[in-house]
Amino acid sequence: MRLERHAYLDRAALLCYLATVVALTSVHDLRVLGAALALTLAVAGGGALGLMRRVVLAVGPFCLVVSVSYAVLTIPSGQFSGGYLVLVNLRVAVLTSLTFLVMERVNLARALGFSRGLLYVVTLATSQALTLRRVVEDYRLALKGRTLVRLGLRDRYRHSAASAARLLAKGLHQSGEIALAMRARGFFDDTSSR
Amino acid sequence: MHIPDGFIAPVVYLPAYAVAAGAWAYAVRRVQASLDENTLPFLAVMTAAAFVLMMVAIPLPGGTTVHAAGIGLLGVLLGVWTTFLSVSLVLLLQALLFGAGGITALPVNALAMGLAGGASAWLAFTGLRGWNGRVALFTAGAVSVLVPALLIALALGIQPLVAHAPDGTPRFFPFGLSVTLPAVLLPHLIVAIGEGILTVIAYRYLAALRAPRAA
Amino acid sequence: MIHLSAIRHDFPDGPRVLEDISFAIEPGEKVVLLGANGTGKSTLLRVLSGLVAPSAGEYRYRGQRVTLAALRDREFGRRFRREVVLLFQHPDTMIFNPTVHEEIAFGPRQLRLPDVDERVRHWAEVFGLTDCLDRPPFSLSGGEKQKVCLAALLVLEPDLLLLDEPTAHLDPRSVGWLVDFLSALKVTLVVATHNLSLAPELGERALVLGEDHRLLYDGDLTSLLRDQERLIAANLVHTHRHRHGAIEHRHFHSHDWD
Repeated sequence: MRLERHAYLDRAALLCYLATVVALTSVHDLRVLGAALALTLAVAGGGALGLMRRVVLAVGPFCLVVSVSYAVLTIPSGQFSGGYLVLVNLRVAVLTSLTFLVMERVNLARALGFSRGLLYVVTLATSQALTLRRVVEDYRLALKGRTLVRLGLRDRYRHSAASAARLLAKGLHQSGEIALAMRARGFFDDTSSR
Repeated sequence: MHIPDGFIAPVVYLPAYAVAAGAWAYAVRRVQASLDENTLPFLAVMTAAAFVLMMVAIPLPGGTTVHAAGIGLLGVLLGVWTTFLSVSLVLLLQALLFGAGGITALPVNALAMGLAGGASAWLAFTGLRGWNGRVALFTAGAVSVLVPALLIALALGIQPLVAHAPDGTPRFFPFGLSVTLPAVLLPHLIVAIGEGILTVIAYRYLAALRAPRAA
Repeated sequence: MIHLSAIRHDFPDGPRVLEDISFAIEPGEKVVLLGANGTGKSTLLRVLSGLVAPSAGEYRYRGQRVTLAALRDREFGRRFRREVVLLFQHPDTMIFNPTVHEEIAFGPRQLRLPDVDERVRHWAEVFGLTDCLDRPPFSLSGGEKQKVCLAALLVLEPDLLLLDEPTAHLDPRSVGWLVDFLSALKVTLVVATHNLSLAPELGERALVLGEDHRLLYDGDLTSLLRDQERLIAANLVHTHRHRHGAIEHRHFHSHDWD
């Protein structure tokens, strides 16, 4: 069964990845981490540049704040360690780029297949999130159309609160509908699937 | 709290995963007991709603905004265990689909925001609602921000203690509790107030939305 | 009053939704914007109301270019948003205040007008909402909610009223009421709809968006309704087998007559 084998490969890859993450957070040798980063970028091949850009966008601000604060707080007291700064930033870079790479290459559906319920929830949640996000966007646009001057705090709170309330109300309503549709299609009849 | 991977040591995140796994398993049992076959769609849709909730803006004076978390509202509305699962799933979605927040930070965030945040909101609400509804809601919203902030500040602040080189240099997050506690809690105080206000107003709207329609 | 030239718009994730749209509207005109689903009617209305910046082309309102930068200017922004208003397709999209009174008062309050309560009461009366003023808008029926939205928009005394499929979610009685109301209203009107049979009640001029997202027709509405070829090309009529008594045949027609 080719599908089975693919699923096993994906799961093996995922387990490998998890083990690597633990390993990378357990070693503190700059050379090991540097080699790991080089390896990750090599595997990424042509997409290495795009990968690094995504990494910088995702973790850059946080790392920058921590690094600068660290320097500011430790240089005066003489406790500054350049080695630490390189270590922590390198580790963050390796882990994040590895995670991005794995997420690109691994088929989520197959990887989460160990639990039918989990896969279902993640799939449905993603599609529902897209719909709900459009609702919130339209809501924001409607306010923009009715805004003539800079709005005060009270109006802005009312709108945000109404946004939140509508989201939850819609969510509560939708889940009832979806459950009915699922039951109609026999989703709940297969008791051996748990 | 999007803490990238590499700032939390295995000695913290591995036990956190163990605790979280146990908590998730328990939460699934509790939620299924009350929802039965509606569990899956309900959880999926509320996760989606929670996900988008985090896009709603809390207005701050001066025209700036900060993102809401909505955990207070979720905790009050859905109870502790559903909130815990929904928030955990949102964190999972964010980590997997958007690369926001790391996989090692996930159990810490899930326990802090989903479990502690949801539980403290629910406790505050149930405890205070008999006395004053608005205060109950405001407190629920506020603690749903402050309690997770405190726990995350603790999780980060102990890093230098639990994982350092023999000469004392840190290996993960470099700042101790004396820095993380004020650095994290103070800004979150303002967010907590905003979230509290939002929870009060949103709850009222929700009640109006779900009230039976007039003929 | 309104001048669009070569407007093109692409959605952020790629697909083109408006292609080379040019037309002009004079004050007092009542225009019906027709088109099948997905042809870009909503997007065009959002461009006209300054909520979406088109990918290319120029939009002039009373001679002045409407761009995001122009709208950021306090004077022009305030004037534009007061004079050009858009009724969204789902009334829920616009409602966020705790009472009907506050919802209608929202606009005038921003302008710090002196007689806000007067205005609110007047427009509530026009729409028959006087008894609802203290109720939360969420608790009203679909038709009532739409009236609240209309009141909230008209209380500003706008010059251009844009309506996105206003009859789509209304019951027949409310549709009748709306048609009467709009025909008596002295304001420049652009109504988007895919309801062909209702179109003549809403305006005299037709702008038709084709499935290629271009303007298929710009002219007299009655002539359009006689031009079957054009209607077929625009996917505004369909054909299928149906019966008249014992005879079964097919011909082009439309069904909507809410």
